[in-house]
Amino acid sequence: MSDDLFRDYDHAGFYDEAFASDGQLRPHYRALADRMRTLTPTDLTEREALRDAIFREQGITFTVYDDEKALERTFPMDLIPRIIPADEWAELEAGLIQRVTALNRFLEDLYVGERAAIHDGIVPRWLLATAEGFVREAFGVPVPHEARCLVAGIDLIRDADGTPRVLEDNLRNPSGISYVLENRVAMTRVLPVAFNQHRVRPVDHYGSLLLDALRNVAPPAAGENPCVVVLTPGVFNSAYFEHAFLARQMGVELVEGRDLVVDEHVVYMRTTRGLARVDVIYRRIDDDFLDPVVFNPDSTLGVPGLVAAARAGNVTITNAMGNGVADDKAVYAFVPDLIRYYLGEEPIIANVDTYLLWDDDQRAMVLDRLGELVVKPVAGAGGYGMLMGPTASDEEIADFARQIEEDPRGFIAQEVVQLSRQPTLVGDELVGRHLDLRPFVITGETMEVIPGGLTRVALREGSLIVNSSQGGGSKDTWVLEDDGRDSGEEA
Amino acid sequence: MLARLAENLFWAGRYLERAEDTARMVDVTYHTLLESPQAAEAEAWAELLDVLHLRAAYEAGHDEVTAEAVTRFLVLDEDNPGSIMAAVTLARENTRSVRELVSTELWEAVNSFYLELRRRDLGEDVATQPYELFAVVKRRCQTVTGVAVETMPRDDGWRFMTLGRMLERAEMTSRLLDVRFGQLVSFAAPLAFHHWVAVLKSASAFEAYRKAYRASMEPANVVEFLLLSPDFPRSVRYCLEHAEQQLARLGDPERVGPARRRIGRAYAELQYREVDELLDDLHPFLDRIQQNVWRVADAVADEFFRHAPDGGQHSLTTT
Repeated sequence: MSDDLFRDYDHAGFYDEAFASDGQLRPHYRALADRMRTLTPTDLTEREALRDAIFREQGITFTVYDDEKALERTFPMDLIPRIIPADEWAELEAGLIQRVTALNRFLEDLYVGERAAIHDGIVPRWLLATAEGFVREAFGVPVPHEARCLVAGIDLIRDADGTPRVLEDNLRNPSGISYVLENRVAMTRVLPVAFNQHRVRPVDHYGSLLLDALRNVAPPAAGENPCVVVLTPGVFNSAYFEHAFLARQMGVELVEGRDLVVDEHVVYMRTTRGLARVDVIYRRIDDDFLDPVVFNPDSTLGVPGLVAAARAGNVTITNAMGNGVADDKAVYAFVPDLIRYYLGEEPIIANVDTYLLWDDDQRAMVLDRLGELVVKPVAGAGGYGMLMGPTASDEEIADFARQIEEDPRGFIAQEVVQLSRQPTLVGDELVGRHLDLRPFVITGETMEVIPGGLTRVALREGSLIVNSSQGGGSKDTWVLEDDGRDSGEEA
Repeated sequence: MLARLAENLFWAGRYLERAEDTARMVDVTYHTLLESPQAAEAEAWAELLDVLHLRAAYEAGHDEVTAEAVTRFLVLDEDNPGSIMAAVTLARENTRSVRELVSTELWEAVNSFYLELRRRDLGEDVATQPYELFAVVKRRCQTVTGVAVETMPRDDGWRFMTLGRMLERAEMTSRLLDVRFGQLVSFAAPLAFHHWVAVLKSASAFEAYRKAYRASMEPANVVEFLLLSPDFPRSVRYCLEHAEQQLARLGDPERVGPARRRIGRAYAELQYREVDELLDDLHPFLDRIQQNVWRVADAVADEFFRHAPDGGQHSLTTT
């Protein structure tokens, strides 16, 4: 253990959030480093113990049940926060708002509009019709104010030059906001002095922003005081904690499908005083399970007649059905064009360079360079089913080549992006670990981005996979009120 | 509030009370018998099964009544829905399903109670250290109740849970009197004293009784205390009064609903009773109380849980 946590840190040539390429701390990390230097290894151990106690006490855990006992695991939060200066955030925020605005327009155009983007040749009809998240039943189902992506989670990374890029869009049921809020609570208790030395923009107004946005999409007939509920698959869902958390934050009922009933195209919840009308459903269950009448007939999670009630305009289901069409990784490749088409602007945040494999030239090039590229299934999530060219065996490469030839629509290829790294506490040492960022964008009366978002960090050395199911952790994300350029000098 | 969740809270309250009352009764029966003649043993255990309405269920799986077999049946037999382990498991399932409605402290208290029972070797405990086991169960149940009192807002969720607890307790206390009374009045005096103490201890009432009546151990006083005391929290009257108070706040304030009307009548019947009127005809009276409690529970289900997904046919219940 060094007496200076930061002195022996090796950025190893990666783009590092805290260190410039010459090995100097970036200005907005100096105050944090100065504070951390005053903590002994014992202090750090104590603070980690305090952090663990906070998360356990509050039950912020993934729970795995079996017959005998409940196994509870926490989603580990690293003690070293990620810091984003105000000017950098302003740019990201503008880019996120631009992107989600265009995506809302696109989904509105596709499902209830004239499908202008198709007619004008921006994105091919066949591509949308073959996307897994495309939902025919969503045609004609209204959402007031074009707020089809009421909550969007846009995954951002930084490439080797430090340029932010969008890795993927999550427009269905992005999760993780509960960790953002709980990380902040824990951080202000574990490192109160360091936190106070920065002017960090708050995140705890998320619940009220979300509730306002949900009330904003109530059907016009709902009146002054619309009834909003959160719809969960139930206690056995791994994200149940978040569903309950959001219902509590907003002070609304957390319902399961069986608590709702549809009569004459109106949705009611079953209360101790009879049936009570529901106007807005923030659903955290997938499209396929919403309504056994139109989707999976075996699903017991949903509500028979729900889709017809939404089509009749008596209830708003949000996020809207069918948003998944834009989560398709091949459709993702068209988002920059959609921004240009709908908004007449250049995209502020670029995509990762993506190759479409039904195009003969691009496919030939990709097959030629498979050993250097990343190949992903278009409907994949969680980092599963990918080919990492540089580390793959010859058999794996040959296998993917065959799969691509068989189903060129089913995959995309991208240049390998080395995610940026950041100092992370492992044992009592600071080591570089790769990370990404999922900011949350809410479409309300105005569009709002919660400052920061969920920073996910790959805790395993060298890993680029940040998902919680595969050894990922998180960091509190501090968006500063200022550019943080001077904060180092005072200390 | 959602009917499904209200129903789960109601049953969480009932099961916790059932676990605690069962532990008390088994504990007292067990320890009273240590000081009693051998012959009384089988009879006493059979009586306990009667109190708990579990005699038929027991006899279906057992040829004879022995202390160990009955204790195991009442403590750890998970095929017996009235066993402590089954009741605590169901209390936990019900509480987990309303996790966002109860305080974190309450959930943790229920969950750690359950986990402790799972960790223990209950068969071994029953055989070698029953006293300690029952002490743990009683203490854990009281902790859960105390945590609920201190951390739950007095909202509808709290009221349904309390209503469940009070109805279960009223029923358990009246069953206790019902079965024991007939037997006990016929016992010879020294033995009878011993058994009345056991009855009182089963209801955690021995100390409170002594404060109220000093050393005298008159059957009439015991019955009066457990049935009619306005102040003792396990007396039938107290339970009905408090159940009625919950219903008064839960229902439509403009009208008295069927559940409240029924419990109000049962309460009124106790409120102005004198114990001397009861002693001669105690059994029919207690029987009527129990039937009233069942009818109240049915009326509660019909009035408040009818709109639940399974229409008041609760899936996390067994009796």
